[in-house]
Amino acid sequence: MTEDRIDLKRRRIFAVGCFGTGAATAGFLAATFRFLVPNVLYEPSRRFDIGSPAEFPYGSVTFLPDRRLYVFNSADGFYAVSSECPHLGCNVRHAASGFECPCHGSRFDENGGVVQGPAPRPLAWYAVSLSPRQQLIVDLDQTVGPEFRLRV
Amino acid sequence: MSQTLGQRTASWLNAVGRSVWRIGWPVTDKDRAAVMISSIFLHIHPARVSRHVLRPSATLALGLISGILFVVLSVTGLALMLYYVPYPPEAYRSMKDLQFVVTFGVVLRNMHRWSAHAMVVVVFLHMCRVFWTGSYKAPREFNWVVGVMLLLLTLALSFTGYLLPWDQLAYWAITVGTNIAAYAPLVGDRLKFLMLGGHVIGPMTLLRFYVLHCVMLPLLMLILVSLHVWRVRKDGLSGAEVHRAPAEPAEEAAGLFPASTKTHGLMALSRRPRASVEARDPNDEVFAWPHLLFRELLVALAVVVVLHVVSLVFMAPLEEMADPTRTPNPAKAPWYFLGLQELVHYSALVGGVVVPTLIVAALVSLPYFDRRRAGIGRWFAPERRIANTIFTVLVIISVGLTIIGTLFRGPNWAWVWPWN
Repeated sequence: MTEDRIDLKRRRIFAVGCFGTGAATAGFLAATFRFLVPNVLYEPSRRFDIGSPAEFPYGSVTFLPDRRLYVFNSADGFYAVSSECPHLGCNVRHAASGFECPCHGSRFDENGGVVQGPAPRPLAWYAVSLSPRQQLIVDLDQTVGPEFRLRV
Repeated sequence: MSQTLGQRTASWLNAVGRSVWRIGWPVTDKDRAAVMISSIFLHIHPARVSRHVLRPSATLALGLISGILFVVLSVTGLALMLYYVPYPPEAYRSMKDLQFVVTFGVVLRNMHRWSAHAMVVVVFLHMCRVFWTGSYKAPREFNWVVGVMLLLLTLALSFTGYLLPWDQLAYWAITVGTNIAAYAPLVGDRLKFLMLGGHVIGPMTLLRFYVLHCVMLPLLMLILVSLHVWRVRKDGLSGAEVHRAPAEPAEEAAGLFPASTKTHGLMALSRRPRASVEARDPNDEVFAWPHLLFRELLVALAVVVVLHVVSLVFMAPLEEMADPTRTPNPAKAPWYFLGLQELVHYSALVGGVVVPTLIVAALVSLPYFDRRRAGIGRWFAPERRIANTIFTVLVIISVGLTIIGTLFRGPNWAWVWPWN
């Protein structure tokens, strides 16, 4: 009788120990995985100032290579189109009829819609806004549709 | 006291030597066996080995060459680490230093680069050899799976190393490569974020690739290579069993062909291996010392000589410093991914996700579906005509796509003739 009790207790301790070690290991792995995701990014801000509207003449297309961005000042207002090809991330070039990607020959129309090639989706459009100091602000985390225009 | 001082010194030195090597220079057969068994480094070999697998045509020594290349890469890589700074733009400047300032830096870098390319090729050829000789069949199924993982690790090591020079070639190859990875369904974007340590390739990416390249992946590689080689050792060198005269069970029982002389076998702790390390035809075997060891040293010598010649003649590429604002035209992934990039050019999902997943799944599950025993251990056995034909066609397609992507694709990924 005593032997049985001891045995049961030992088995229980063993089970709890195994479970505990397993749970701790799983927790540790989860923590390690989370550890790999950075909380602070030391990269250029995703929301930035590109200058005052006056720096973009009416009817012009300006390429900002550092921001990988085309800024248009059209008849209806300002808008910003990404130069990053949605296929494999090369910089697209603005051409007469739209955009062309040098890497795999994707072609896009004036609005960034795919005309030809392997690109799976249109070029991204980003929200443009005006700061209180009358500067144009682009937010890369806020995508918009091709009907977007900013009236100044 | 009749010994001279010289004799006593010699005997003392001999004792010191014996304390290190235990067995001296082997003269007798018993010593030739003992020298292999008593050394942790030589114990990777069996004491005796079938003379059939020693012929160069049996394995073409491709696995051995992969191992030698891994050693060369580890040694040259460790040396390069002493000068390399994994932070842009110093990373690029340290490459320039290695190229122009550090004595022999350029040779070491060239050797590291060319060995890495060679390793991708040799590991791939090794896989082809194993398939074409049907050597992935039982009991080696799992070792084939380990081999597939080693192939993937080789590619991962090469890919992570590709970014480190921080030149245009590196930057845009990794841009294309990580964007291919981003096509994975559901997790693609998160995977890319995790790989880059951010949204764009930057200092964080370089540090991640550096740590993966220099520590994590080589460690993983070392563990898996140990497993791979251990199992080769346990299952016997492939191809040996084909030439073995079938041992009659009666004879075996009578002790003519002793089933096992190993302690664990005698103690009935382990079953006899199916592709037996024991129960072989003794007349077909030679001692690994010197026959196998000599051939291995010869192959190692040849590999090292070839690598030196190549590294002295051909320069590893180093372009201008990475410039995220300027995409070279065309922007190409590392050459071993250009077959995929060629497919990605038609469809990103098919080329970037579906095809690679199918290939890996097919390779891993292959030995568990193809279980026929006919034609094992022989090159292009007629019994395996269908399997060999399918595999060969796939090899030709992937090599063909890689060649097209590498040589026949120019600006805008348009078709060009390489001789123009």
